[in-house]
Amino acid sequence: MDRVIATLVGVGVAVGGSALIFIGANKLFDLAPRGWRWFTTAIGATTGLVAFAILWGNRVIFQREGMPPEWVWLLLAGLVGAVAGYLLGSLRDWWARMIVGAAGGAVLGFLVGLNMRNVILVVPDGNAQREIATPIPSINYGELFLWVGIGLAVGVALWAVRGRTRPLWRGLVLWATVGWLFGAFLTPELNTGLRSNAILASTILGLGIGATIGAWPLADKQTHDRVESGSRKYIFLGPALFFIAASLVIPSIRTVILSFLDGRGEEAVGFANYATIFTDANILDLSTWTDIFTSSLFIGGVVVAGLGLAAAWFVGRARSETFDFGPSNLSLVALGLVLIAFAMFSILRGTIINNLWWVFTVTAFATAAGLAVAVLADRSRSESFAKSIIFMPMAISFVGAGIIWRFMYIARPPVRDQTGVMNALWVWLGQISNDSTDTAIVVTVLTLVVIGLGYISFRGFRSGVDGVAWGSIVTTLPLIWLIYRFLGPGLGGFEIVEATGEIVGQPIQFTSERPFNNFWLMVVLIWIQTGFSMVIFSAAIKGVPAELLEAAKVDGATESQSFWRVTVPQIMPTIGVVVTTLIVTVMKVFDIVRVMTAGNFDTNVIANEFYDKAFTEFNFGVGSSLATVLLLFILPILVYNIRQMQKAAV
Amino acid sequence: MAVVTRETRTTRSPVEIGLGKTIYAFLSSIPTWVLWILVILWSIPTLGLFVNSFRFRDAQATSGWWTFFNDPNGLTLDNYTDVLATQVGGGVGNALLNSLAIAVPATIIPIAVAAFAAYAFAWMDFRGREWLFIGTVALLAVPVQTSLLPLLQLFSGGGHLTIPIIDKTITFFPDLDLSGTVTAVWLTHTGFALPFAIFLLHNYISGLPQDVFESAQIDGANHFTFFWRLVIPLSVPVLAAFAIFQFLWTYNDYLIALTLIGGNGANWPVTIRIASLAGEFGTREHLLAAGAFISTVLPLVVFFALQRYFVRGILAGSVKG
Repeated sequence: MDRVIATLVGVGVAVGGSALIFIGANKLFDLAPRGWRWFTTAIGATTGLVAFAILWGNRVIFQREGMPPEWVWLLLAGLVGAVAGYLLGSLRDWWARMIVGAAGGAVLGFLVGLNMRNVILVVPDGNAQREIATPIPSINYGELFLWVGIGLAVGVALWAVRGRTRPLWRGLVLWATVGWLFGAFLTPELNTGLRSNAILASTILGLGIGATIGAWPLADKQTHDRVESGSRKYIFLGPALFFIAASLVIPSIRTVILSFLDGRGEEAVGFANYATIFTDANILDLSTWTDIFTSSLFIGGVVVAGLGLAAAWFVGRARSETFDFGPSNLSLVALGLVLIAFAMFSILRGTIINNLWWVFTVTAFATAAGLAVAVLADRSRSESFAKSIIFMPMAISFVGAGIIWRFMYIARPPVRDQTGVMNALWVWLGQISNDSTDTAIVVTVLTLVVIGLGYISFRGFRSGVDGVAWGSIVTTLPLIWLIYRFLGPGLGGFEIVEATGEIVGQPIQFTSERPFNNFWLMVVLIWIQTGFSMVIFSAAIKGVPAELLEAAKVDGATESQSFWRVTVPQIMPTIGVVVTTLIVTVMKVFDIVRVMTAGNFDTNVIANEFYDKAFTEFNFGVGSSLATVLLLFILPILVYNIRQMQKAAV
Repeated sequence: MAVVTRETRTTRSPVEIGLGKTIYAFLSSIPTWVLWILVILWSIPTLGLFVNSFRFRDAQATSGWWTFFNDPNGLTLDNYTDVLATQVGGGVGNALLNSLAIAVPATIIPIAVAAFAAYAFAWMDFRGREWLFIGTVALLAVPVQTSLLPLLQLFSGGGHLTIPIIDKTITFFPDLDLSGTVTAVWLTHTGFALPFAIFLLHNYISGLPQDVFESAQIDGANHFTFFWRLVIPLSVPVLAAFAIFQFLWTYNDYLIALTLIGGNGANWPVTIRIASLAGEFGTREHLLAAGAFISTVLPLVVFFALQRYFVRGILAGSVKG
């Protein structure tokens, strides 16, 4: 219960606090045209508070023995700022303004000097400790006056350069103050000074700043309005830009810098980290590339793709087109290409290859499956239900999905029942292909289906419907292969114990049998991302003008022709969006691999390698270079997307 | 749709005539069959988890979930009570609270911040507006990994900058000891969400009719009043779309929380908690299904209740990286 309350309070403070700051800032500047002096009062108070808070955060102000704590001084500074602000917002007389400004600044400066830290802080820095010097300067008066002199000279020079239009003394006050800042705080040795030095240095600095502010004349009505309207863009944009700079821009730059430093982030090492990455055989190993061309996957892929192309060519010839891709021969070509790609990715090894494998597989399958579901569901009566179910995994976390699929993939010892769906099916297949009755039933059914398909094909050829005819023939091929497996070597997970002739179920270790355990992990992300591409394609397909499809039909186009000739060109930009978005998402895949294998069994990906290097081994250099590599992989897609966006905006 | 169907029936296509009515009807029904097969395939994994979460420990370990009607002891709610009890489940209930403590501020605060910024980009005139906007949106695709390491350093040791020539160190972000807290996580989420949020909201807000804005200006309303009274009420649909998107995103996040909270188990959100439960491979494995299901209940409810808005967010923001 305490946790609940603490959580609620924390959330409330976070949300309410941000809202208050936001609305408060706007209300404050609403005041400017109506009650200028109250506006300046609030600005003065805020300035005092914020200045002291920053100094406190920098440990310049520090509670001294026998003195009140920092927050008391913070409030006092706010009060002084408020009084000065009120007076500066009401007084018109030049001298009075100067005196109020200078005095207010001097008091604040004095308060700073009084509380300046005079103890050396020791803070932990990694495994070592680091000392933080005190901010108290050891003033060298000669140098100090030299700096003030330089400041005065800059003031005169700027005044002359700017055509002598502004009052000279205003510039002199400002630049003398800047000179003082350099001479008193930025250049001298810190750490050794006396309290009197601290007070002197900061009081005069405050006095100078205050006088610079006091030197401005009392604002007139026009200025009030200008302040009000001019402030909005800062208030509206400020927080967003602050968050973006603090969490994206600056850290990214720092990561790139860190990638050129050593593991502790201290010494520059040039490109050594990148060299480490690209020479590590675990990360990139291309030495086996010759094996690709002799692998059964590659040869099978070429054959299958060739068959598909041949079928498409035969069908297309009848319609005086080069190729005609119906659902079946297109699947063949796609399957062939996937097999060839898988041959490549499974034989070359390493983290980067795995990542590319992920990107290829998940992008291709999720795009294709999403498009297929969108097309299929578009005609269906239960469209919204089917789409909801396919889309649902998008709401589940990657971690949750990883666990869900762990239950699908789990492998129990051969002697026991399989509790995972995949292995249960696999072992069940093994059982029926070793049981003569079961095999007979399955083969009979399959044979009947093949005969049926053959009949459809025959009817198709006779009536000139080539697409259906060839499609049916192509569909029989995997069925014939299944019949062969059942009659011949058997199918599914089983092993025959030689001594006894006993048949034992042999499950697949889906997450640890390399290299295709990678593919089984990818299935999880395909399962999630298909919903994403389906939703986008579904909207795009509904956006295809009905007149176009109608016209195609009138012209005698078949379903597949109107799909490839009308729908696909219409949704081409959408395909681009889906593919790029998927590539970016998949490139960063981490959670699924982390939860299911933690990168073991040759399933590592860049994001997981990054996590291990940066947060387990604490090698900041290599970790940062991996992050930079990831950024570089994504950069071209980023550029492409911005181009597309600009086009869409016009 | 109905009209089209009738037409195909009255004027039989040459394909139908050639193949015969039965074969044609069979072939035309294939898409529906394929769709239903896909729907079943897609729901099996979640269904399996759901059923397993109600089964006894021994049943889970020795038989498949599809045999649940054969379980000798029937089904049980014990897994749920166990996993929610603080000690046994490693505090899944506590982790749910942490997830909310991250997801709620990480949803509300970016909406507010981004709405203001999107409004400024859409309706305010200032120099460099276009470039600033493009620059902001360009950060959409920057991977989280690129900024995680410096952010962790920032939250654990503060941000310091040593000015080169004068060799003095300035602290621009004090060491607030935020590493290991949920605050660090939602602050980070807020920053990461902004480019997308600004992009999404800007698309909508810049499309509001110009004359509404002009008439308000004539009436003397300033930007803040106009924003508050007119733009926000008009933008509710897109704000809802982003809110759902962002809520699911932050609730389901694993990497950012894992990095910034690290070993501080008391502050783990539910994703890290169930991931660690999954990593145990031991005595509590039977609780995993229940834990995983609990962690997905809230997103699923949000998803099914507000699917329309979620889809809109996805459609409008399909360039998110």
